[in-house]
Parts: sequence; structure tokens; C-alpha cells
Amino acid sequence: MLTPKEIISTLQMVREENLDLRTVTVGINLTDCVSDDIETFKRKIYDKITRTAGQLVVTCKQIERRYGIEVANKRISVSPIGVVGAPFNADQMVEIALTLDKAAIELGVDFVGGFSALVEKGMSRGDQALIQAIPQALTESQRVCSSVNVASTRAGLNMDAIKRMGVIIKQAAEMTADDDGLAAAKLVVFANIPQDVPFMAGAYLGIGEADAVVSVGVSGPGVVKAALHRAMAEEENLDLSRAADVIKQTAARLTRAGELVGREVAEILGLPFGIVDLSLAPTPNENDSVGEIFETIGLPAIGAPGSTAFLAMLNDAVKKGGAFASSHVGGLSGAFIPVCEDLTIARSAAEGTLRLEKLEAMTAVCSVGLDMIALPGDTSAEMLSAVIADEMAIGVINKKTTAARLIPAPGKKAGDHVVFGGLLGEGPVMAVNLGDQENRFVRLGGRIPAPIQSLVN
Amino acid sequence: MNKVLISVLGSDQPGIMAKVATVIKQHNGNIENLSQTLLDNAFGALLLVSLAEDDSAEKLQQSLQEQSQGMNLYIRVHPWQAEASDWYSNKRETQPYIVTAIGPDRQGLVAEIAGELFKHGVNITNIQAIFKGGKNPMDNLMVFEVDVPRATVMNDLRDALDAIAARLNLEISVQHRKIFESVSNILN
Repeated sequence: MLTPKEIISTLQMVREENLDLRTVTVGINLTDCVSDDIETFKRKIYDKITRTAGQLVVTCKQIERRYGIEVANKRISVSPIGVVGAPFNADQMVEIALTLDKAAIELGVDFVGGFSALVEKGMSRGDQALIQAIPQALTESQRVCSSVNVASTRAGLNMDAIKRMGVIIKQAAEMTADDDGLAAAKLVVFANIPQDVPFMAGAYLGIGEADAVVSVGVSGPGVVKAALHRAMAEEENLDLSRAADVIKQTAARLTRAGELVGREVAEILGLPFGIVDLSLAPTPNENDSVGEIFETIGLPAIGAPGSTAFLAMLNDAVKKGGAFASSHVGGLSGAFIPVCEDLTIARSAAEGTLRLEKLEAMTAVCSVGLDMIALPGDTSAEMLSAVIADEMAIGVINKKTTAARLIPAPGKKAGDHVVFGGLLGEGPVMAVNLGDQENRFVRLGGRIPAPIQSLVN
Repeated sequence: MNKVLISVLGSDQPGIMAKVATVIKQHNGNIENLSQTLLDNAFGALLLVSLAEDDSAEKLQQSLQEQSQGMNLYIRVHPWQAEASDWYSNKRETQPYIVTAIGPDRQGLVAEIAGELFKHGVNITNIQAIFKGGKNPMDNLMVFEVDVPRATVMNDLRDALDAIAARLNLEISVQHRKIFESVSNILN
């Protein structure tokens, strides 16, 4: 027999607190599709993707009904195209992106990730072609996402790649100027990219992964906020130790729900189950915001002093709860602070409470990094690269994943408003210190050596 | 085997179980299984007891009534055959679901939902009501724990319950029990 408390708390999570499975992502290995003939390659990847994930959407619908939990997105991630499409040139890479897009539309999935390159130490021919193709690929496709890993703790920072990415991001934004630079919102630059992220835009299937694998991304900032809110209302002497405990327990419960659904989808599709990625990933809706959690705990707004300390605690408690609840927690697993995708964060940024520099500091203690940040359209490519380099350095030195998803909105200046729509949301254009100037440091190129792993201070 | 099923009803007070169990012991009976529950101040217990060969349901009932005088209890002792109902002995494969109805209490609510469940071959294994009144939807909740046979078409059942929900201004959901268990039982 279930107790009323157990039933009510589960119902509340689903009904009122926006517990959803942000995504069920099927990772598909494309290494067995390789060919030096573009038509053969396109046909093989299209066939393999549509064959492997053919039942994904109907299966998710079936599971949604059974458990009463919404699966918000169904996604595909594939082997990095920079590797499996190595023989092809930039124009052909665009064709590959459009083939991925066609497969995604055919399957009815929301996104396909893996138009990606891993270049932390150097760029192969395929990687170069892929990176060159990114702006056009993301402009002409609807559902393709792209990621480029430019740094790692073991390899250091590939500043040549970072320099290149500044130019690519700018091009991507300019090609979609009518949509405030939307293509750049589907492109993310990483340090220490995990092989199994189900979240976009960073999802790709790592080379060390199985032929096909089902992973789940669980969200639920609303659930964490509600749990904290309840505990603070009910417990007179709640301190931060207790608050951490509440977050941890909530994270464990969220993870359980995710694993249940993930395993069941995997079983029906006849594929192995990979990981649960428990990340507090906001959507641009009330009660689904990470920023609101900061206000619930007593900070005047996200960005105020104390924000970094609380974010560190939040991120850690989420990881601990997730790791306890499931033996296969992976991906990013932590708290995201994407500006445009989160109503409260976007508001703090618009009001000037939260600036780029404070966001950067906060990314040192949270999952991911400078995410969904609109910048003035006149930000120079070199300055974009410099912002990326700063963010990558934080990840490399702290042995964690960091990422930058920057959108230099064409024609917009600091304080203007941009709209990307859907999960990508909207928000203010944030100022970059000296953003329109050149940056000779970036122009030097080369590599920033991997950091020493001893003498830890 | 000489078995009896005992029901004990009354207003809750300390000593009900002590009294009942002591009388059973005096009769050299053995309690094989029991369950008690409380609805507000109303106490109810069900006990399955094996009696000594020379004992009987009537004798035990008499002793229980005599010895619990002053406690205002309604005690019934029924002879009990171990024979299960046809349905019970031919149980088909089922899936456990939780049906919840959120919304204000009203006359006939349980009859409507339970009736529809019965029509679809669904067996109720437990039922609880949480009616505290007020605006919080979670304070006006009816929970049916049910076993749904494989033959039942879930979509038909859901449609039928949705129709009731629309008519009675309720929110009815049907969720597989596993989601409640996996979210609630972190330590298992």
C-alpha cells in the first residue's frame, strides 16, 4: 500500500511542479556508415537513423500515458560527423546536415545532435570541413545542433580552434539575422565535453559508446523550488545543511522517475539503456526556472552576492542526489543557467543585476557554462573567441565541463531584447566589456598547454 | 480447520486489540492474520483466527461481547471457509495502476468511478480518501489502487474515466504504480 504522502508528493511533482522528462535521446553510432562517396554515406546514415529510432516517438507517447509524465522532447544524437564524415568537404558537410535534418523530420524528433567536431588538440581535415560548414548547415536545417570541443584538461586549450569558432559563431548569427542570430543558438563550444549528454545543443554519441543507446535527460527546477519552498514554510529552523538535504532528496526522486522511463523506452526499442542526466534545465515558463530557486532560498536575485555560493551548493546537491538514486548518472548532471531559456535569469540580466562577468564566475561551480547569452551584434569575432577562451579555461583548470553558447545578435546592442522562440526563449542582449575591440591575444593562436595536475592550490 | 473471520468496529480507544486478542488466547485460538484501520475516530479491525477443534464462532462471539462490555464495540465472528471466490482462484495477469481523482467531494463520486472500473474488469485493491476541504487540490483527493487485467484496453478505460471527470468537474488520472514506487522508495 502506498501512503497518501507518497501519492501526493508524486502527483504534485507531475501536476504542479513541471516535472518532465526534458528528453529521451537515442544515441546512434554512425561509424559503420562510413564511405568516401557522399551519396552512399547520406543514404546509409539516413537509413540507420530512421531504422534505429523508428519507434522512438510512439514509444515515448505510450510511456507518457502509462506514467502520466510528459516527455517534452525526443532527440537523436549521432557519432561526431567531423570523424565519420572525414573525407568530405564543407559543401558536402552541409548536405550531411540536411540529411540529418530530413531524418529528424521523418522521425518526428525535436533535435538531432552530433554535427560535431572534437578538436581540443588539433583539427583534422574532416573537422575543418565540418566547422567551415556550421553556419550554412545551421541556417538551412531546422533541427540540427552542432557542438565543437575545443579544450580539455588533458590537452589544454586549442586557441587556433577557439579563434576559428569566434568567426564561425559570428557568421552563423549573421546568416540568420532575421531571427536574431538563431543559428548561433544551436551551436555550442565545449571544454571537456561528455560523450553521453542527452541535452542540446551538446548531444553527440561518443566514440566509446555502444552501437545505439537510450539516455534520458530529466529536468525539474520547479520541483526543486517547490520542495525548498515547502520545507522553508514548514520548518522554522531550516538552515543550509537542511536545504542541501531537501535538494538532494528531491534530485534523487527526479532521477528515479527518469531512470524508470528511460529503461522502459530502451526495453521497448530493444536498445541498451545508457544514463540519466539529471540537470536542472529551465524552460522559459513560470515555475520552471533555476533563477527562481535563488529567490526562494533568500537571495534578492540571481546575480547578487551569494549567488555563486548557493549555485555551488545547488549543483553539488543535485549531483549527490542523482548519483545516489541511479548507478548510471552521466552527461552534465547539475544546474544549468541559460540566460534566454530561463525567465528569472533573463529578467535579472535585463535589470542589470546579473552581468556577464558574474555569470562567468558562477559557471566555475555549476554544470555547463555561458549558455544562451545574446551579445551585441558588433562584438568582434576576436572578442567572442576571447569570451570562449575564458570560459574554456575555467573548465580545463577545474577538470569540469564548461561550454559557451553565445549569440552575437546582428544589429542589436546591449540592453535590446531578442527572441528565439520555443525552448530557446528570449532575453536581453548583454554587454561585453570592450566587446567591439580587437584582441591581439586571441590572434596569437597556438595552444594553451594542459595544466599541471599536481601542486594543487 | 476451524477458522473464523472476526470484524471489530467501534469508536477508537486504547485496549480494543488487547481485549480481543486476550479473549482469543483464552479460547486457545491463534490469530493468523489481521489488519486494523482508522477513519477519523472510527476503528475497524479484521482478524483471521484458527480456533480449537471444540470451539465455535458463536462461543467466541459470546465471550468477546461479554468481555468487551462498556467499550461499545460491534463484534461479529463469522465461520470462514478457505474457499476463495471464482474470480480469486482464476486471477488473470494484471498490471497495478493508481487512479487518482482530484476535486471536491460529492455524492456518488466513489460509485461512479468504482462502477466504471468494475465495468472494465478492474479490481480495486485499496482505496483511500483525503478530503480536508479547502482550495488546495491535494486536500481533496481520492486514491484507488487497482489491478488492471491485460485484456482491458487502457485507452477505453481512460476515455470512460475522462467522461466522468468532465461530468463531475474532477481531474482523474490513471498512472502505472511503478512511477509512485520508484519516486517514493529511494531505499530499496
